[in-house]
Amino acid sequence: MKPAVSEAVIAAINTVLRDTGRDTKPVESAMLLAADIGLDSLDLAQTIVLLERSLGVDPFRSPSAARPSVRTVSDLISIYTQALGHS
Amino acid sequence: MTTATIADAPVEDRLAYALTEIARQEPGRTAIVAGAGGTSRSVVDYAALAAAVEKLEVSLDAARPVGVVARTARLESLVVIAAACGRQHVPVAFLTEDSRDLVGELRDWITLDDSLALPASAARGPRREFDAISPQVVVATSGTSGPPKLVHHSWDSVLSAARLAEQWHGLAWLLVYDATRWAGIQVWMQALLTGGTLVVPASRDPDIVAAALVAEQVAVLPATPTLLRRLVTSADRSQLAKSSPARITLGGEAADGPLLEQTQAVFPQAKLTQVYATTELGEVFRVADGRPGFPAAWLGKSLPGGVRLSTRRDGELLVQLSRDTAEVGTGDLVERRGDRFEFTGRRSDVIVVGGAKVFPKRVEEILRRVPGIAEARVYGLPSAITGELVAAEIVLAEPLPESATPDHVRTAALAMCRESLEAHSVPRLLDIVKKIATTAAGKTTRRPAGVTP
Repeated sequence: MKPAVSEAVIAAINTVLRDTGRDTKPVESAMLLAADIGLDSLDLAQTIVLLERSLGVDPFRSPSAARPSVRTVSDLISIYTQALGHS
Repeated sequence: MTTATIADAPVEDRLAYALTEIARQEPGRTAIVAGAGGTSRSVVDYAALAAAVEKLEVSLDAARPVGVVARTARLESLVVIAAACGRQHVPVAFLTEDSRDLVGELRDWITLDDSLALPASAARGPRREFDAISPQVVVATSGTSGPPKLVHHSWDSVLSAARLAEQWHGLAWLLVYDATRWAGIQVWMQALLTGGTLVVPASRDPDIVAAALVAEQVAVLPATPTLLRRLVTSADRSQLAKSSPARITLGGEAADGPLLEQTQAVFPQAKLTQVYATTELGEVFRVADGRPGFPAAWLGKSLPGGVRLSTRRDGELLVQLSRDTAEVGTGDLVERRGDRFEFTGRRSDVIVVGGAKVFPKRVEEILRRVPGIAEARVYGLPSAITGELVAAEIVLAEPLPESATPDHVRTAALAMCRESLEAHSVPRLLDIVKKIATTAAGKTTRRPAGVTP
């Protein structure tokens, strides 16, 4: 896990929370995106757009791979780490 | 020149006729001011235009081309080509940068640039003249909804909205539109048919446009709501106060109530008219009561000129130009609000977020109500999760309201959207930009930044 990626993911999640008028919180990698942080599908879509800006990749756009399952913060971090490693 | 004499000339001859007549009576009269409001102002008079038309007519008469594609950088060349082609009964096409790919459709036509010199290869072939069926004036659509396409018009339809009455004579017209597009063609034809002056600002920068309004004493200001909004929100106030346009004509997009009120406050003496026209249909109707949309009572009635309006079930405005023409879908969505039908946006602009429709115009209207926001545009971003996502760009007002920071404005904008809109309509990306993206036709683009139509 690259620290830059996890920092970017956590920053993106906090931006989403702030932009939607919610309180930011300490985000940890084991947290469930929906149950623990309260992200819905729109929030997730926003997170992905923000990460495309900060990291320069959108692993969810690739048509080849089936949509990876994203339940936890660490799922998100590993998807981006992988995407950056391959590019 | 009298109205009667111009109106007596065959419609395709009118432009050349007007230029010649005005040049005869007042050769030094200014026809075009280019670079207005900037540092390199230049002027073309009617005598120069009339002389160039006459010269080009001689070569067209000799060469007899199938048609002429005007590909010029200068407005005066475009005018000369249009006038000479009209009087010589040669079809003419006005092509813009983004419609160059379409020129394949006009294979046999010759191209004229600013030199106005016919290519040597043009001197051949039997003379062909346009008749009622062949194209007379070819214009590319603006590409607001989809790729630009060529539309064929008769000179009758090009000039059908021109106002030749005395009250329209000798006015200074601002030309902020692209001169090769329908809206721009309407402005320069109108101005030159009536001995007016075309004022072309050095750029669309609001301060330059304001300076041009003042320096050239512009009387008529035709613009899209996007261009006008930029002018009234961003241009130097003291310059605007010195200008006094008598008429402002809005077209190309729907204007919202706040813009109409703001415009009336900045230009209290101006008569504000909204023109509903498309490249395909020409002018359909005008609204002059200063309110957005059009009266609900117009639906289903025969309007001046025989136009009938109706709506499809999904709210799309349908237009029937006359009894013997078919009803045409406009792609514009309308919604009844009280005694009006107001435009909610273009059908092709609708953003679909997780299956729910978002009308970008409505979101833009809410953003513009936020103190500190001068302009806004809303567009859809593709998303693997929700199909699309609402994104927005805002331009901050200058100066910002007291003690506000850009961050405050951004937060307030999102809060206002959450309050007024369904969750899926609230922008998920909100960027502060210096200038919002517009199409070449001067309309707000509803595509992601960097994507050109």
